[in-house]
Amino acid sequence: MKLSKSLKHALNMMLHSKLRSWLTIIGIVIGVSSVIAIVSIGEGMEQSLNAQISELGGDILTITPGVSRSGDRHFRTTTASSSQATEEEIVLDRTDVQALRGIPDIDLIDTQIRKNVDVSYRDKWGSLSLTGVDQKVWSQITTEEIRDGRMLDSADQNVIVIGASLADNYFDQPLGINKVITIEGNSFRIVGILDDQSTNIIMPIQMAYQVMDGKEKDIYDSIIVKIRDEENLDAVVEKIENKLMITRHVTESNKDFTITSNVQIMEMRSEMMSSVSLFLTAIAAVSLLVGIVGITNTMFTSVLEKTKEIGIMKAIGARNKDILAIFLFNAGLIGLVGGIIGVVLGILLSGALPYLLGDMTIVRGGTVVSLNVIIFALSISVLVGMIAGAIPAYQGSKLKPVDALRYE
Amino acid sequence: MLICNIICLIHNVEIEYTQFYNVYTIKEREIKLEHSNTLLNFENVWKIYQMGEVEVPALKGIDVGIKKGDFVAIVGASGSGKSTMMNLIGCLDVPSKGKILLKGQDISRLSESDLASFRGKTIGFIFQQYNLIPTMSAFENVMLPLEFQDVVDSIASKRTREILEFVELSDKMHNLPSQLSGGQQQRVSIARCLVTDPEIILADEPTGALDSVTGENIIKMLEKLWREEGKTIIMVTHDLNLAKYANTTIELKDGEIIRIQENCNSG
Repeated sequence: MKLSKSLKHALNMMLHSKLRSWLTIIGIVIGVSSVIAIVSIGEGMEQSLNAQISELGGDILTITPGVSRSGDRHFRTTTASSSQATEEEIVLDRTDVQALRGIPDIDLIDTQIRKNVDVSYRDKWGSLSLTGVDQKVWSQITTEEIRDGRMLDSADQNVIVIGASLADNYFDQPLGINKVITIEGNSFRIVGILDDQSTNIIMPIQMAYQVMDGKEKDIYDSIIVKIRDEENLDAVVEKIENKLMITRHVTESNKDFTITSNVQIMEMRSEMMSSVSLFLTAIAAVSLLVGIVGITNTMFTSVLEKTKEIGIMKAIGARNKDILAIFLFNAGLIGLVGGIIGVVLGILLSGALPYLLGDMTIVRGGTVVSLNVIIFALSISVLVGMIAGAIPAYQGSKLKPVDALRYE
Repeated sequence: MLICNIICLIHNVEIEYTQFYNVYTIKEREIKLEHSNTLLNFENVWKIYQMGEVEVPALKGIDVGIKKGDFVAIVGASGSGKSTMMNLIGCLDVPSKGKILLKGQDISRLSESDLASFRGKTIGFIFQQYNLIPTMSAFENVMLPLEFQDVVDSIASKRTREILEFVELSDKMHNLPSQLSGGQQQRVSIARCLVTDPEIILADEPTGALDSVTGENIIKMLEKLWREEGKTIIMVTHDLNLAKYANTTIELKDGEIIRIQENCNSG
């Protein structure tokens, strides 16, 4: 029998055992839709992270003091220029910046300090993260975009740029350009609002030294560098490492600073998200497994119910492979229909998830159902159906016609 | 024809006397078979069923031959082995011992798949309970054997229409079996049997589930196929009235042939 004919008979069989077929299909639908929905979360996270990575740019490196290796922190004695710092504190200072200036591959260097500070506006208080930046280069090095107003520039003093959340929602009234807020008792005028969702405050580093308690001049929490050629990233990292090790009098074994590229940070986050996503998919796959058991059960029942028909078909010339094909296609079709409905339901579910789960981290990047996932889900459902139906179909095909005909 | 009619007349007298039959001994029949061109030949065929630890012989060393163009009725009481013999003739089962030659082929030597193809092309089945696929229309049921033989759709479709016309069911071809009467279902079953133009028509109690008038129509249809189309018909029945339509009657008892009789009919 031609395969197209086998398919036709399989379809006929499915249409004439509607209730049982549909009950089995529901099992597959639940499995496939949950897999689709969960994979869509994973893809959404990945796409959003990828977008962030590309926004961040691969040419930015962050140098921070200290290094954590097997929980063993290395310290160095501070240099003369940072003699006020406690002896056991690891810091980055002007010496480091000067050393970095000697590397021709580096285009820009931004020094930053960071601390939580008390902020008030019209009698409302809050503790927020303040970052002091080198305003001469920050606007060129940052990947942040300005929504309103402008970036900091070199002549700025008592001005700040703030995150959009701080501007819009943090205080009772929204903060706009030229509004003045109080930070640790000093007044600052807002000149720019970032296009992000943060409550960060950015101000010139010299002003930040003044408002932050315990921060010493020319001691930095991090140094951000922008390299000239992104392609040379690894080579430049090595150069920086070597240079800093010399100036800081450390070796590879007691290195006391860390160089991280933004891409690295995002990749780490991406890997973590992938693990979460994989775990969730595994849970969803369990329901698909239940669906497979359902198909197998249905097919066994179907073969039993159709024993007499198998006998009739064999009597009128059906070969074993014809019977096998009909039952396999029947199982495959159940899988396919379950898959199609599952995909549709999965797409709807993934669209609804961000609303259902609210502001949970895993759906913050939105959900994405890619064509690959749809094709994969459909192929898997058909394959799963056929695998589940294989043993019952084989048993049916092997029935002796005389026994099958006698079956009531 | 005249001679035939005279012979028939004589036979009719004898029928009253010997209950329809003109009796030959088995030996006489066997001698006759050896000299004829047989389509189907049973050579010392045994069929033994294993019932737990007990072996139950359903057929015990059957030797019989059926010629092309015969209309054979296999009769016998329940448990006589006629269904077993029918299954063996129809290649639905293989003998435990002995040899069955169908068109010169030893069916025990054929693979399952070859046997299925051979069966599909050579034998047409008519069952007591019609055995139609309930989820398929009359048309689809009749066309099914052609689909198993990979016949091109257009040809299969044309042939199916012709056969359904022959059994006078053109107007019911799209009905499901459940929408047809018993007689109509049996005619669909006959159409399905005929659609592949088989050499042998194997009918198992073809009128068993029908009322007498419908049953008569069906048996007349078989007779027509035998007389006009030259089909070899093998019919299993317990009804001696039906057996009289056949030209040969094989009577079974306890798995053995106890009588082979030639009736007054001729093809």
